[in-house]
Amino acid sequence: MVCSDDVNLWYENYHALHDITFSIQKGEFVGLIGPNGCGKSTMLRAINGLLKIKEGCVKVDGKNIHELSLPEIAKICSNVPTEFPPDFNLNVIGVVMMGRYPHRKGLWWEDEEDEQIAREALRKFEIDHLDTRNINQLSSGERQRTLIAKAYVQQPKLMLVDEPTSHLDLRYKLEVMEYLRDLIAKEPDMSIMIASHDINLMAKYCDRLILVKKGKIVDFGTPQQVITEKNIAEVYGVKAKVTLSEDGIVNTVPQYSLRLRD
Amino acid sequence: MSYTSNSIVATGKRRLLMLVLVGIVALIILFLISLAFGPVSMSLGVIWQSIVNIVSTGPTSGNERIIFNLRLPRVLGAFTVGIGLSVAGVVFQAIIRNPLVDPYMTGVSSGSGFGASMGMIMAVGALSTYSLFIVPVGAFIGGLLAFSLTFIVAKGAGGRAIHFVLAGVITGMAFGSITTMIMMVDDEKTHSILSFLFGSFTSVGWNNLWLMVVPVTALTILIFFKAREFNVILLGEEQAKQLGLDVTNFNLSMLVVASLLTAVCVAFVGIIAFIGLVVPHLARMIVGGDHRLLLPASVMIGALTMAAADLVAKLAFAPVELPVGAIMTLIGVPFFAYLLLKRGKE
Repeated sequence: MVCSDDVNLWYENYHALHDITFSIQKGEFVGLIGPNGCGKSTMLRAINGLLKIKEGCVKVDGKNIHELSLPEIAKICSNVPTEFPPDFNLNVIGVVMMGRYPHRKGLWWEDEEDEQIAREALRKFEIDHLDTRNINQLSSGERQRTLIAKAYVQQPKLMLVDEPTSHLDLRYKLEVMEYLRDLIAKEPDMSIMIASHDINLMAKYCDRLILVKKGKIVDFGTPQQVITEKNIAEVYGVKAKVTLSEDGIVNTVPQYSLRLRD
Repeated sequence: MSYTSNSIVATGKRRLLMLVLVGIVALIILFLISLAFGPVSMSLGVIWQSIVNIVSTGPTSGNERIIFNLRLPRVLGAFTVGIGLSVAGVVFQAIIRNPLVDPYMTGVSSGSGFGASMGMIMAVGALSTYSLFIVPVGAFIGGLLAFSLTFIVAKGAGGRAIHFVLAGVITGMAFGSITTMIMMVDDEKTHSILSFLFGSFTSVGWNNLWLMVVPVTALTILIFFKAREFNVILLGEEQAKQLGLDVTNFNLSMLVVASLLTAVCVAFVGIIAFIGLVVPHLARMIVGGDHRLLLPASVMIGALTMAAADLVAKLAFAPVELPVGAIMTLIGVPFFAYLLLKRGKE
């Protein structure tokens, strides 16, 4: 479904991604974790073709991303943006409908089909009652759902989500993850990759995790395999206590910075 | 909001139709009022009779000549410039992603002020008979020159929206100071330069009207074809790219188009500030941020606002005519302050 093979990327002289190799199945919900600046966002940008890679290849749905044009990529790969548009009096359905841009047929208006798809997305993410509301009047959780709905109506094979929860309250954080989890359950043809620094949240909701340090994949597997005291120490430089709850959820409690205790 | 159950596309179409109908009616009314009022005022009945006569036999009486030769091209010029600057304002605001940006942001106004001043200095002696064209041509070239400088600096700095804002500011300062020097050195031209810097429709006539109407119409139509792209660009450069839009090329080409549009408007009537800022705002308040409604609304409101401001300029202290740019600034400043205060509270 999604496969990355020996991807290397440089920012001028800085070797940002080293031999990134992994593959993701259809219907999988994969988390990308690692400390700030480790290359999570760079990886997402290399996967959707925003950054040109120097070596290797990325395939989504069997197509080599780096040989496709921007409009072609937009039809198989969508992205939930981190930034939000400034106050331009846009309404919720207007923003969601923008996700239909790659599939546009007419010059001016969307057609019936676009509208049905957008409506369905509004219902799915429970923002239907806000359809004509100005997006700047929404709560942060509602905004996030609007942006996810926009990415969803693009009808992608792969949805990329970059730090969706960093500025959300606890409840909204959980809700966003629940919505994404629910989405992947109902869309067996789609995969989601999500980057976040919230280890516990990722461990709770993701099928598998990719642990990244300085542009290299350190480990890739189920949360239980990846979130170990040894890995946390190696990647984050933190002594942590990792426990497993009765329902099989991995929980990390950081203890202290290894650097300061040396 | 009541149309939750209705189709949003159908609602959009209906609102667009309403907008166009209301706009056309308002434009016709303002058009007739503009023909009727001036130093000599005429009743609407006289206007109507004159229009019928002009259409059938051409202008013959004194009133008919005033209407046909002076007021008609002037109101059409006001409509054109109002449309041009408002549409350019919409484009700049979307590309810079800041609703407080105006069409002069790339330095076009200061450049054309400088070009017009140079034109006035050159239009002496044998050339003075061509002054009617030398000044607008100078203004147009000056506007494009300033834009090119802004463009080169901004491109070199990285070509992002903020680079255009900053490069535009310094380019504007440079040309503004040269214009001031010209005014100081050549006392005789001070008055004409000042009146250019504050804009006026007095010099619009049949001989130069088409030079505005044709390019403004063509460039506006070009921009209309990109309405959906302007929507997408509001989500940010990276997001627009991920929706399949070649953002870099789109932004650059639209900056060129909108700067051309601005330069054409400024060339003949001088610098009229705030219209390109205020009109997109008013339009956004009425129809929302979707460019498929916003662009048509800005055309309508832009034409109406400009013609109304010109009427005020003509009538407020008649027979003395005020510069329309100063009138627009007086309307624009409190409006802008209100927007700032409103944003500050949010």
